[in-house]
Amino acid sequence: MVLGNYKTALSARSTDADILKCSQDGGVVTQLFAYALEEGIIDGAIVAGPGDEPFKPEPVVAMSKEELLAARGTRYTISPNMKLIKEATRSYGLDKVGIVGTPCQMQALRKAQLYPMGMRSVPDKIALAIGIFCMENFPYQGLETIVEDHCNVKMESAVKMDIGKGKFTVYTERGAVSQIPLKETHKYEQPGCHVCLDYVANLSDISTGSVGSPDGWSTVFVRTKKGDDIWSKAITAGCFETKDIASVKPGLDLVTKLATGKIDKNKKTLEERATFGVGKGLRNPYI
Amino acid sequence: MSKVVEVSPTTRHEGHTKLVLKVNDEGIIERGDWLSITPVRGIEKLAIGKSMHQAPKISSRVCGICPVAHTLAGIEAMEGSIGCEIPDDAYLLRVILQCANRLHSHALHNILTLPDMYLPGTDTHINPFSAEEPVRSVALRIQRLREIGQTVGEIAGGEPIHPSNPRIGGMYKNISPRAKAKIYDLAKEGAVLAREQMDFMITVLKDWENRPTASVASGYEVEKNEKFGFHDQGYMAVDPLYASTNLDADPKWYPERWTEVRPWDWYMGEQEITLDDPNYPNHATTPAGAKAWPQMEACTAVPMYDGAPIEVGPRARLAIFRNYDKKGAMGLQIARQMEYPDCLYSMMEAVDALDTSGSVVADEIPQGDGSLGWAANEAPRGTDVHLAKVKDGRVQWYSLLVPTTWNFPVCSRALEGAPWQLAEVIVRAYDPCVSCATHMMVVDEEKKVVAQKLVQ
Ligand SMILES: Cc1cc2nc3c(=O)[nH]c(=O)nc-3n(C[C@H](O)[C@H](O)[C@H](O)COP(=O)(O)OP(=O)(O)OC[C@H]3O[C@@H](n4cnc5c(N)ncnc54)[C@H](O)[C@@H]3O)c2cc1C
Ligand code: SF4
Repeated sequence: MVLGNYKTALSARSTDADILKCSQDGGVVTQLFAYALEEGIIDGAIVAGPGDEPFKPEPVVAMSKEELLAARGTRYTISPNMKLIKEATRSYGLDKVGIVGTPCQMQALRKAQLYPMGMRSVPDKIALAIGIFCMENFPYQGLETIVEDHCNVKMESAVKMDIGKGKFTVYTERGAVSQIPLKETHKYEQPGCHVCLDYVANLSDISTGSVGSPDGWSTVFVRTKKGDDIWSKAITAGCFETKDIASVKPGLDLVTKLATGKIDKNKKTLEERATFGVGKGLRNPYI
Repeated sequence: MSKVVEVSPTTRHEGHTKLVLKVNDEGIIERGDWLSITPVRGIEKLAIGKSMHQAPKISSRVCGICPVAHTLAGIEAMEGSIGCEIPDDAYLLRVILQCANRLHSHALHNILTLPDMYLPGTDTHINPFSAEEPVRSVALRIQRLREIGQTVGEIAGGEPIHPSNPRIGGMYKNISPRAKAKIYDLAKEGAVLAREQMDFMITVLKDWENRPTASVASGYEVEKNEKFGFHDQGYMAVDPLYASTNLDADPKWYPERWTEVRPWDWYMGEQEITLDDPNYPNHATTPAGAKAWPQMEACTAVPMYDGAPIEVGPRARLAIFRNYDKKGAMGLQIARQMEYPDCLYSMMEAVDALDTSGSVVADEIPQGDGSLGWAANEAPRGTDVHLAKVKDGRVQWYSLLVPTTWNFPVCSRALEGAPWQLAEVIVRAYDPCVSCATHMMVVDEEKKVVAQKLVQ
């Protein structure tokens, strides 16, 4: 079950040219939130908005399409979106909260819903949780080092970053492309990612990522009843072009392969923690 | 020959107290001591040396029913000491929070009160947990009123229990236009319910008042006295709704009029229990032969204003600002119900005036030079005075004079003349919040500490 529970898997992309202009892949996240906002399914969404340094995201509660658009694109560094989950129901006054996040953030969300420690009024206000696939993440300084030192690109010049096909790629404003083998980036990964056993955001309502689908398209898993309901409405409303996942290359085989690779590797790390010391080990949050 | 009966613990109020009652042959109270036996937690002592930002967050934890009062009084006392004026929109958010908390608190107290009362025109005590009408609808209305109060508190204050939004200098966050609309809608809905609830409660309370006999919950009936719960002490209140601080142009509380005495000087000495009643509702009274020593057992200092105990709370506010003049336990209860509409209307007014894009933190937050600041917040149960001295951002001295502390001695006096079996009805009229009321320093006219319980 490396891909988690899901009702449907498919390949999709937004039909909104505005969204696609700056989205990372098929614009699935932004399109879904924009649709849900317009339909009143959510009244705001927590997304990784622009921060005070280039490619350093700052979580925001987006309550308009403009704010959603401003948050498009992947920032390969930590954006603590869950920090706003309570505030969204407080000073923002939301009743139906949307949130996007990496698999670990989806876990935090579900945990808060089931074990709401200091999370009064949060559990019943989560209306749409969109997960994004995630192999690993980087602290901001790590990302800066990768981009500025390894790729030789000033952070300010970068317009898009992408991890895929074993490469870390930076696209600049002036049209240049700088690429390095992913292997070079490993030492900058945040160590916490090495015990993470979820690749495709198993606990989200709908999860999406780039792997498995062609460029400009996204792989989508529709997982929960809520997710299914919203997804089918969005399809009926003409928000997405879709393709049968079986008909696209590389398809689910690659997703499964990468997910298995991540989980196996990180399980090993977890096991090693048990005997890390001499006669004693390090904590395992899963037991 | 008078006898001594003890009800310990008392029930259906916040905290831990007991009643030591000297009664005559008819069971009428000649002298009553109502005292806190809640352990002293020593907030004031442990606040010393802490940052001015932290201390009010700690004092919020004094009580989970009125944490808003302690948070705001604490913060405003610190602001009073350092001389920090907050922006208007922060003030409006605090007012909304205050209204929200009073609404929920009064509604909660209805639940505690109702079991003593009867369905008007019948001899059936009201059981708020009953699934039967008409009580069911009343219980649901109370729940909704509390939900409205707590939800508004959550939005304006960040959290209804221990609000997170207030800070020295104002608030951490303003609210969104959507949140503003939500508060307004909730207040509109609440205003209708609150009026209905007020009318219902006043009918029930007047029905009780007009009965010749009554009982505590489902106990046995005793004859009531005419001046049930009367006392001759005065009233203290600083505002109908919110607060006064030393930064006001015209402050409404006067530190120089406040003194304290030790429980030793005010409560009865050692007593032997000579009367007991195994059939007293909920649990029997203390068995005869046991000893009680109010002087030693009371966990609160006895604050005085102009040298005498003084009543605080809804009736004090109405008496001072609205010429309300109904005495006795039911006079106090009815005054509380009369505060319902204002919670909602003031909330609407404040939210209407709020600019959601206005700044909510003062541009400059001084660090303090050790001057005395105080803030008197009109908590649901009355004037909650916090006094503080802040120097270089740290608390040098902190004192809490909370509503129920003021009311302990007044209520004790109000017990006189009542049948002891109904003493708890008088106590409950004060809506005591006893966790609030345990504070341990005692100061004299010169504000010198004359007694201090050791806190291990
Ligand atoms: C750290 C990281 C690692 C990833 N690894 C993989 C991978 O290995 N394989 C794969 O297929 N996909 C991966 N993705 C997902 C992929 O890069 C896209 O985010 C995803 O396909 C969504 O694209 P979109 O066009 O639908 O979204 P868009 O419409 O472009 O919107 C992207 C959304 O993601 C949010 N977001 C951006 N950065 C972050 C962040 N750091 N944390 C939380 N939310 C953020 C934005 O706020 C925005 O709402 C990763 C994403 C991140 C953030
Ligand atoms: S690898 Fe796991 S822990 Fe690290 S950011 Fe991605 S989901 Fe979170």
